[in-house]
Amino acid sequence: VARSAPEETVTSSFASFIYAVRPEHLSEIVCHRSKRMILDSIGVGLVGSTTHVFDIALKYCLELYSSVAVSNVYGKPGVKLSPTLAAFTNGVATHSMDFDDTWHPATHPSGAVLPALLAASQMLPPNSKPNGLDFLLAFNVGLEVQGRLMHFSTEAHNIPKRFHPPSVVGTMGSAAATAKLLSLSMAQCTHALGIAASLAGAPMANAATQAKPLHIGNATRLGLEAALLAARGMEANPFILDDISGCSGFSAFYSIYQPKPLSTPNERHEFLLEKQDIAFKRFPAHLGMHWVVDAALSVRNLFINYAGSFSPSLIRTIVLKIPVSKYINRPFPNSEHQARHSFQFNACTALLDGEVGLSSFTESSIHRQELRELLHKVVVEHPEDNVANFDKMYGEVALLLKSGDVLTGKCDTFYGHWRKPLSRESLLKKFRSNASHVLPEEKVETIITMVDNLENLSDSSQLACSL
Amino acid sequence: MILDTLGVGLLGTSTEVCQKVKQYSKIYSSDVSSTIWGHLDFRLPPLYAAFVNGVAVHSMDFDDTWHPATHPSGAVLPAVIALSEAFPQKKKISGLDLLLAFSVGIEVQGRLLHFSSEARNIPKRFHPPTVVGTMGSAAACAKLLALNQMECKNTLAIAASYAGAPLANAATQTKPLHIGNAAKHGLEAACLASQGLQGNNQILDMESGIGAFYTDYNPQTLPTLQSYPWLLDQQDVAIKRFPAHLGTHWVADAASSVRRKLVENSDNLLLLDKIEKVIVKVPEVKYVNRPSPNSEHEARHSFQFVACSALLDGSMSVQSFASDSIQRPALQELLCKTQLQHPSDNKPSFESLYCEVTVVLRDGGTISDRCDTFYGHWRKPLTNEDLEKKFQSNASEVLPAEAIEGIIETVYNLEKVEDCSVLNMFLSGQSARARPEKLHLL
Repeated sequence: VARSAPEETVTSSFASFIYAVRPEHLSEIVCHRSKRMILDSIGVGLVGSTTHVFDIALKYCLELYSSVAVSNVYGKPGVKLSPTLAAFTNGVATHSMDFDDTWHPATHPSGAVLPALLAASQMLPPNSKPNGLDFLLAFNVGLEVQGRLMHFSTEAHNIPKRFHPPSVVGTMGSAAATAKLLSLSMAQCTHALGIAASLAGAPMANAATQAKPLHIGNATRLGLEAALLAARGMEANPFILDDISGCSGFSAFYSIYQPKPLSTPNERHEFLLEKQDIAFKRFPAHLGMHWVVDAALSVRNLFINYAGSFSPSLIRTIVLKIPVSKYINRPFPNSEHQARHSFQFNACTALLDGEVGLSSFTESSIHRQELRELLHKVVVEHPEDNVANFDKMYGEVALLLKSGDVLTGKCDTFYGHWRKPLSRESLLKKFRSNASHVLPEEKVETIITMVDNLENLSDSSQLACSL
Repeated sequence: MILDTLGVGLLGTSTEVCQKVKQYSKIYSSDVSSTIWGHLDFRLPPLYAAFVNGVAVHSMDFDDTWHPATHPSGAVLPAVIALSEAFPQKKKISGLDLLLAFSVGIEVQGRLLHFSSEARNIPKRFHPPTVVGTMGSAAACAKLLALNQMECKNTLAIAASYAGAPLANAATQTKPLHIGNAAKHGLEAACLASQGLQGNNQILDMESGIGAFYTDYNPQTLPTLQSYPWLLDQQDVAIKRFPAHLGTHWVADAASSVRRKLVENSDNLLLLDKIEKVIVKVPEVKYVNRPSPNSEHEARHSFQFVACSALLDGSMSVQSFASDSIQRPALQELLCKTQLQHPSDNKPSFESLYCEVTVVLRDGGTISDRCDTFYGHWRKPLTNEDLEKKFQSNASEVLPAEAIEGIIETVYNLEKVEDCSVLNMFLSGQSARARPEKLHLL
């Protein structure tokens, strides 16, 4: 497919952006928001290192590989792995409990980028370590590329059905971020994206299973691999992001695909993160759950005022008004992974306990009698105005009492959503709670301070070392 | 298929793309290691051995092709061979074990391809080896690892999350990685499953599972094992005679035949000045339509290039894609006179496509020929002799004669081989004479 020379392609504009963007192009808001994301992501990864799926991933990596082990693993101070496997393992940790951040259009941006950067920072020789500002810039390149790619398809605006977005755009973001950190040439940046595309794309069906965390693990690892291969001269299709008729590039993952070039960061480039913040989860479950939980908590309060205490026997039916999304509509989940992807489960847990947290998803919590009984009372409705979209959806929980009375709670914007962001206190509380599962208090505080002052860190690999 | 794939892989170890992945993979090494075909000097962990050898197999687009379209062997063989070396010393893998695992890997790919009518045509969106090849590798490795039924199911589920690369990297240096990664990721999926990792156990049933890669998807259960109808029984593979996209094989045969007619009356000299136009009738396949390819990867995916090359030389070979062959002025000149046409009856399917080459002379005369079935296609398979010749020609680039003979003998008697590590020994370049006790047939 021939192209006349002066015409700029979408792909080359991306490569050019990755290559040419400088720390000066970052804005204050972007720095602030991305540091929050970095902190949250680390915390979530640390607590994630206590999960079973993480155990499997780690054991696998340790058994097969030993040398060039230079990169740290979350929560395992004595353990090092080769960079790509460290990225893989830490990525799995980050998504192991579905506790990591979510963006709009929908994806989990940080988990796909941070582990790769941490691993790569430890790979570089001592006299050429990137500083904190370089690190922060590379992180933002990884986010920006993901965001821009998602804007190429209207499909991406809604909760996904076919391919799991982190496995599609996350891989590309990781490749871009790593390419930036390693200071690849523009041509190499182009090829990193091209190689990464051939490593992208996992189907949705593994969501709500133990394999889902691998999507983030692989996104971050394979994106890193793509950049490493590009650094060694591997070449791919230089039009991978463009619309190539009859032979799909990145467009293969979408049915509608309208790519646009990225402007070179000459004047003040506006990062997407500036206009569109991220949502942080308050408990480890799919983002959609957060609306129904807040709605459930609100109606629970009404109920307690009405009846003096939460008395399930007074409830005839629980009506959940939720958007249509098959993989998070599960009346009787059987595993923690299914429970994290069940509107019904999360609503009932919130009603029963007055909160949803880490312990809500243990085996015993999932299978307790009172919860099962409550689940039997749930019916689900899909109002037409409740769109499967993280910017527009709402959650409504109605208790139809045996007495005939009806109590309702509705949530349009849960606390932690980008429209109602977590306060600094709440974010730190979440981080401390997560990190303290595996690290002593001083290390926890060290990480907080380091991330807060990331721009001033002279050697960003120290962040990886502190995990 | 096994023999051809080994030969093609051995030859491929000398390519640039393979050099790059070998360099890259060296950053990993461990105690458990597997053979890198053609190398005695270093080994790699099984996953990276599978990756590197897989890249070698597809590095020149010289590996087998099936119908519905995919490159079945390259995704499976490197993985099972690498895995066979990863078992603890006491556990021997027999040739029969290897053969069975390989066959499972092929069968699974074929069955999956039958779940979508899209698969019957030359692909446009996802490169099939990255979709079904990953699944085939996973299945084959699960078989070799003797995983239980639940673990096999999880292997497939996990593998699905690694599947799928877009077609746009075809005709670039990255394409060989599609096969390398299919082999490696399938193996990884099996290893993760054997450690207890679980995925969606309806991965093949759901539209949001493997169905995600197709617009129409109709999965079916497999027949019972009682006198099992293997797809390979009913549908053979095509073996390539030269390293280029399968579609170009029709073109080569048609063009060679036209050349024979052209030079009949002029002392075997092709008089280029007398040629006005070259018209090549092929189905519409955008990624093989390249009027002036610039790299070996593009040349291997160019109907036009192969037509002109075959017209000039009378036949195609590995050498046809060398840099100086690509750049020669006579070829470039002929390319400028070449155009493609896409008759509506010429369907983009390896089962039914044809090629017609017409040379229009300045004096108005035309010479034409048509190829419906090239030699090497499943309807006209290579003789054993020619298959062996291809293998020997390929393998001799990197292995000594004894190792070459050793491989041929081992593969032909695979069911009877007690310990298939002998195959790996030959693949790394050692000969039977060095270790006579290794070549022990049952």
